[in-house]
Amino acid sequence: MLLRTFAAALIVFAAGAGIAAAQTYGTSTPPPRTTDVHTLRALAQAREVHERFTIGLDAERRGQWAAAAAEFERIITLHPPEPQFSTAYYDAGIAYAHLNRMDDAARSFRAAIAGDPQFLAAMANLIAVDLARGDLSEARSVADRFVALAPDSARAQYSRGIVALRQGDFGAARRSFGQLLQADPQYALAHYNLAIAQAGDGQYPSAEHELRIALDLAPSYGRARFALGTVLLHEGKRAQAREAFDAVARDAAGDAALRNLAVAMRDAIRP
Amino acid sequence: MSRLWVRAVLVAALLTSVAGGAAVGVAGAASVETMLDGALVPSSAPALLGPITEAGRKGWACKPEQAASARHWRDAELPDAAAP
Repeated sequence: MLLRTFAAALIVFAAGAGIAAAQTYGTSTPPPRTTDVHTLRALAQAREVHERFTIGLDAERRGQWAAAAAEFERIITLHPPEPQFSTAYYDAGIAYAHLNRMDDAARSFRAAIAGDPQFLAAMANLIAVDLARGDLSEARSVADRFVALAPDSARAQYSRGIVALRQGDFGAARRSFGQLLQADPQYALAHYNLAIAQAGDGQYPSAEHELRIALDLAPSYGRARFALGTVLLHEGKRAQAREAFDAVARDAAGDAALRNLAVAMRDAIRP
Repeated sequence: MSRLWVRAVLVAALLTSVAGGAAVGVAGAASVETMLDGALVPSSAPALLGPITEAGRKGWACKPEQAASARHWRDAELPDAAAP
């Protein structure tokens, strides 16, 4: 009887200890040890910046871009120290870009770079936004700076190559995609873009070679096969060109515009 | 006189058919050339890199900054040939 009572008491004690352990609290935030108005104001502002970053990033995750932009705009007016200031501009730029406010997005990424001159992600995004709004001049100067700061960066070389192609600067495009391929020879799009640059300079045999490599790496790459047909046509290889366009017309079911163009090209070439 | 007119009409018809045929040939070639213009276009621009937390770009967990400096295209979040 005594043993049973002792066992029961032990069980009750163990259960009570478990409940007590579950009710332990984390360390509380220490109260401010100052009454100085400026210090208290700075603490309140830091807290607001932290909260607004949390809310803004959560809004971006949920695709609520206007709400996110409002949070980052407020952070910018508070002018927090680095890295928060340039980061707020960067995050605001992303929100503006998704709201299709491309000029505001460019202004934000520019401000982020001004706050942190080595901010590579901001440079990458500014180039993407400049390409979307057609400011090739700024895109090129930022891309040149991006490459100078990070010459081994795949994105820097790719971005400069794309900007150079759109500018018709085929030499610079060849250099960028050539460097990208030195580090990453398995990247089909780099071979494709190098071919576009070579074709732009009339180097059709080299372009054909690069396009065949791109197609070896990615056989379903319809745009590369279409470009191959175009290059073959420039080389006077009409039968092969027709075959390439015919293959695109058969296989590019997911890209109606490319398929229609391929059909038109194939039909324009007499067998 | 009438034979002269018949000859003139025949020659004119012949010239017209030759010129017409040549024009059709030139138009056909021109249409292929026109279609070739702008056919060689670069691949798409890279997509935007994602948001960064208040900790800034210098932390080890900052994926956008890592992608911006990555050496290989897959790590750099560049377009894929499957969806150029």
